[in-house]
Amino acid sequence: MGQKTPQIYSVELNGAKDMKQTDKGDDKDKYRGLWSTCLELRKNHHKEHVTKEIDLDDHKLSNKELENKYHTNIVTGLSSTQAAELLARDGPNALSPPQETPEIIKFLKQMVGGFSILLWVGAILCWIAYGIQFSNDKSSSLDNVYLGTVLALVVILTGIFAYYQEAKSTNIMASFSKMIPQQALVIRDSEKKIIPAEQLVVGDIVEIKGGDQIPADIRLLFAQGCKVDNSSLTGESEPQPRSCEFTHDNPLETKNIGFYSTTCLEVSISPVGTATGMVINTGDRTIIGHIASLASGVGNEKTPIATEIEHFVHIVAGVAISIGVLFFIIAVSMKYRVLDSIIFLIGIIVANVPEGLLATVTVTLSLTAKRMAKKNCLVKNLEAVETLGSTSIICSDKTGTLTQNRMTVAHLWFDNQIFMADTSEDHFKQTFDQSSGTWASLSKIITLCNRAEFRPGQERVPIMKRVVVGDASETALLKFSEVVLGDVMEIRKRNHKVAEIPFNSTNKFQLSIHKTDDPTDKRFLMVMKGAPEKILEKCSTIMVNGQEQPLDQSTAEAFYTAYMELGGLGERVLGFCHLYLSADEFPETYSFDVDAMNFPMSNLCFVGLLSMIDPPRSTVPDAITKCRSAGIKVIMVTGDHPITAKAIAKSVGIISANSETVEDIAKRLNIAVEQVNKQDAKAVVVTGMELKDMSEDQLDEVLTSYPEIVFARTSPQQKLIIVEGCQRQDAVVAVTGDGVNDSPALKKADIGIAMGIAGSDAAKNAADMVLLDDNFASIVTGVEEGRLIFDNLKKTIAYTLTKNIAELCPFLIYIIVGVPLPLGTITILFIDLGTDIVPSIALAYEKAESDIMNRKPRHKKKDRLVNKPLAVYSYLHIGLMQSLGAFLVYFTVYAQEGFRPSTLINLRVEWEKDFVNNLEDSYGQEWTRYQRKYLEWTGYTAFFIGIMIQQIADLIIRKTRKNSIFQQGLFRNKVIWVGIASQIIIALILSYGLGSITALNFTMLRPQYWFVAVPHAFLIWVYDEVRKLFIRLYPGSWWDKNMYY
Amino acid sequence: MVTQKEKKSCGQVVEEWKEFVWNPRTHQFMGRTGTSWAFILLFYFVFYGFLTAMFTLTMWVMLQTVSDHTPKYQDRLATPGLMIRPKTENLDVVVNVSDAESWGQHVQKLNKFLEPYNDSVQAQKNDVCRPGRYYEQPDNGVLNYPKRACQFNRTQLGDCSGLGDPTHYGYSTGQPCVFIKMNRVINFYAGANQSMNVTCVGKREEDAENLGSFVMFPAHGNIDLMYFPYYGKKFHVNYTQPLVAVKFLNVTPNVEVNVECRINAVNIATDDERDKFAGRVAFKLRINKT
Repeated sequence: MGQKTPQIYSVELNGAKDMKQTDKGDDKDKYRGLWSTCLELRKNHHKEHVTKEIDLDDHKLSNKELENKYHTNIVTGLSSTQAAELLARDGPNALSPPQETPEIIKFLKQMVGGFSILLWVGAILCWIAYGIQFSNDKSSSLDNVYLGTVLALVVILTGIFAYYQEAKSTNIMASFSKMIPQQALVIRDSEKKIIPAEQLVVGDIVEIKGGDQIPADIRLLFAQGCKVDNSSLTGESEPQPRSCEFTHDNPLETKNIGFYSTTCLEVSISPVGTATGMVINTGDRTIIGHIASLASGVGNEKTPIATEIEHFVHIVAGVAISIGVLFFIIAVSMKYRVLDSIIFLIGIIVANVPEGLLATVTVTLSLTAKRMAKKNCLVKNLEAVETLGSTSIICSDKTGTLTQNRMTVAHLWFDNQIFMADTSEDHFKQTFDQSSGTWASLSKIITLCNRAEFRPGQERVPIMKRVVVGDASETALLKFSEVVLGDVMEIRKRNHKVAEIPFNSTNKFQLSIHKTDDPTDKRFLMVMKGAPEKILEKCSTIMVNGQEQPLDQSTAEAFYTAYMELGGLGERVLGFCHLYLSADEFPETYSFDVDAMNFPMSNLCFVGLLSMIDPPRSTVPDAITKCRSAGIKVIMVTGDHPITAKAIAKSVGIISANSETVEDIAKRLNIAVEQVNKQDAKAVVVTGMELKDMSEDQLDEVLTSYPEIVFARTSPQQKLIIVEGCQRQDAVVAVTGDGVNDSPALKKADIGIAMGIAGSDAAKNAADMVLLDDNFASIVTGVEEGRLIFDNLKKTIAYTLTKNIAELCPFLIYIIVGVPLPLGTITILFIDLGTDIVPSIALAYEKAESDIMNRKPRHKKKDRLVNKPLAVYSYLHIGLMQSLGAFLVYFTVYAQEGFRPSTLINLRVEWEKDFVNNLEDSYGQEWTRYQRKYLEWTGYTAFFIGIMIQQIADLIIRKTRKNSIFQQGLFRNKVIWVGIASQIIIALILSYGLGSITALNFTMLRPQYWFVAVPHAFLIWVYDEVRKLFIRLYPGSWWDKNMYY
Repeated sequence: MVTQKEKKSCGQVVEEWKEFVWNPRTHQFMGRTGTSWAFILLFYFVFYGFLTAMFTLTMWVMLQTVSDHTPKYQDRLATPGLMIRPKTENLDVVVNVSDAESWGQHVQKLNKFLEPYNDSVQAQKNDVCRPGRYYEQPDNGVLNYPKRACQFNRTQLGDCSGLGDPTHYGYSTGQPCVFIKMNRVINFYAGANQSMNVTCVGKREEDAENLGSFVMFPAHGNIDLMYFPYYGKKFHVNYTQPLVAVKFLNVTPNVEVNVECRINAVNIATDDERDKFAGRVAFKLRINKT
């Protein structure tokens, strides 16, 4: 028993304080961890600062020494001149913003990223071509200048769009600066002054009240009953006491140092109500400054989708440049003039580059981001939308993320029986047996021996949501009794409290004495709760079925069994006992003295046990199951006790029901831990202590060999180590976190997820995503959305790439065969940036084809966004079919106007001569140049319409990659139809709205030409259905491998 | 923390390429095995064969909609254009009187151009038609094929006929002939049953001055209605396009003169803003004399 108790959560009314006591050693390491990671990282980034930062020894110095060191005086403070000098030397007390790339550079980067550089080349070639033309002939047409300008405009506009999107994602430093307190009360020239905190310098004497933010790193000189909230720095949620004594060698551990930007919670009112401290570090030299620079120093990993898009850009640019250069050479060797060849090159580049695609991708991502925001995932970095989908490991916090973050009564033990309480989020009814007399007594103790109170004015709020003044355990008990018994306050009023001993860590119990609400019973009731073993010590009887019975060996054993069982569940167990004080000995007027303890403290009557836990959120187990079937490994990383961590891990399924740890096996087989075959264990619980001693290789081994891992008692700094370990396995890692010190891990992770409710601003800023409801299940919906968007982006890209061939072929045919140009460069831009935009966005609304949560996460390096089958199928299959269809429309228009296909061949040179105004067609008619030009524009329009009609078919086939369109449903995605409508409307406007002025080289097209490409469109659809059918019929076959993208 | 970039040595890259081209372990050539290559080639052979067949079929169907004799639509040719002979780059007629070579090429072109207009050829092939009215040859349900054309004899061009002309259409003397012709448009009834003629003017005032006087053949630059309508290359086998010759008699030498000729016909608009050759033609004339 004695050996086991440390493992059990012994009674703890004041939260995690015992954790602090038992693990002081850990804490030290925790801080050391912070220091060392901090320093290690800084070594890489700012080597020159290292030595300066380590020697913080001000906490060891006496006041006198401090005064000497900083040339100040504790009573009078610095002089204004001194302060001004120091301010000039050290700079303002503010965090310097990270060395940010200037906005203009960011903007310019957008201007040259992706396809932009290709288009710039195109634009510049245009201008050069015009320059050459102009030097030859002053009256040459401005067409090339216009085209160059249009290309430049396209680049600039898409650049501005991308820049705007990027600028929207917030900056990490933004909230660090928000945390800076605005004002500080400082003593200078013996006077108290309020100055902006930015002007503080080292040696300043500052006064702090409860509720203030500490304006700089300070050494406390005078403080009483001071408590600070260091949670934003260390993640500890407990208020930390602060005094002026030097208590620890480690500056982060000692009590006489207060940290910049943490909050001073309270300072004892008497005698002065303020704490006084001397500023020892300002601005970037503060601890928070280090962390801030640390977070910005950790390189933001390139998001998977950014890599994919880069890959895609490379493919397209490669195709564009190689075809361009190839045909430049062909054109030159076919005796075309170099100038013409340059213009061909421009055309080929423009045809190959999907100008609108990157903007479409951005819009698609932001649409998903919006959708995710509705599901409580706020995405800050657009590209992170997809990252979540390719996540293969999630390192999750426990408290608040997996659990509800509130203590709740989980089990009761009385009458030798364990009862289960309902722990779900919205429970309002307890269903266990409440008829026993023991329960009546127990409930009375729970109600009365409790100092927590509801804040007034919350009658309408559901009990579980009411705000309570009191600590976590008492809150749990209060809410529990309110649910079971009704108005607790009323009960307490009826049972007037006459004396009380609040909980303290030496006693480990809490006691109160009440008058009873039974007017006939004049006895006082003493109620007590506390650590079960302490309570039991004080008892000589136990209540069973409402009757007091002597406490014998067997009942004691029953008690221990229950205690062990509940403790083993990771629950915090409390024992309850009471005693009716006899009316003779303690008459109504008896005055109880809690200091003298003038009442019995033994031979009490033990009533029962009650255990509490921070229960898992009810949606989490389901979410974990989903993660598992989605091939995502969920690793729990918590600062909590291993037992609790393991219990929660088991209850939510992170450790599945039938898997065991090495310890479990040892216990089951009754052998020593060392004898267990490690391969038998599927799960493992690693503590921070163990982690500290592990080498990288050992950590890697743990991460690879166990599918179910729980890290307990870890410091937030160790998270970074765990994340790096996971990334070494080539995993895409998602990390949740809330404290300031989580921010390096959040940044390091492929996707950092900050908690919206519990998270500090720094964490939110370092993260790529914020979970508004702190709920793990929201991550899973995020994963689903992320996977869907990856699939849909594939479809969008396939859709967009297809018509590039249809845009490219005209040029190639024009160069090789010499037909009049079938499709103009401006017209291409109208397809890319006009008719195709809405449909490609519409594909983002497509529903998943199959259960995307049932497949493994994509492999970062193998499952590319744009893979070979996608490119080949889009370019060489559908793209080619589309070109044929569009050429059919083109030839139809020319043939019906008088130029049969045979006539068109090699007509190019004559056709384009400006002075040839009597070009003969197939029927002997003669055409002027302008008449031909108009016909050429009609050809452009016809080709354009041909592509547009077939893009409708392309859009419909891209709805699915594997399923038949009919399985997917033609009408489920309404946006697709909006897209189709937009295509047709834009084409109608271009052809009929602007056709009459021919400003954009569009002409009115006879209505029947709109339908010429329909058979080809139909063929595309049939062909794709056949492709999908074979893929479904023969999975894994040659066809599947080559045709499934 | 420090990202280690995998740098490949040059040898490794070559090695990887070699393996890509021929992988002896898996017997893969360029990433595919023999069978796989056979499959993929067969597939593309069949697929592209099918596409070609499909395209040919649709093109054939499309061509069925087009008649052999008349184009389906003529909306673009509502106004026939005018053109000049000799045909030159940028429509510049430059004559260096002293340099026989400079105008020799024009003369050669004209000789060739006017050959079919020789009276003997015309008499042999074409009908003598009644002037002043259209020479209509309707099909009346039966294909009237081939259709007859009216004679346009070279002699009608008078001084510009070049027949027995020692001055070579006036080029050797600096009094060049320029021939104006109107573009053929099938079934176009030029003039709408009223007589029409071609007139030429200097484009601007100074051009008009520099242009001097000129004579036209046939007289007044008339074009007779009998040459219309045109029935197309296939029907109207020997169709001879009517011409108007302009002989410039005293162009100011060594000056570039902008000449514009237009046809005056009821149903031919000559003021199209965009099409500078609709019913008119502008050319530059320059006679260089030393």
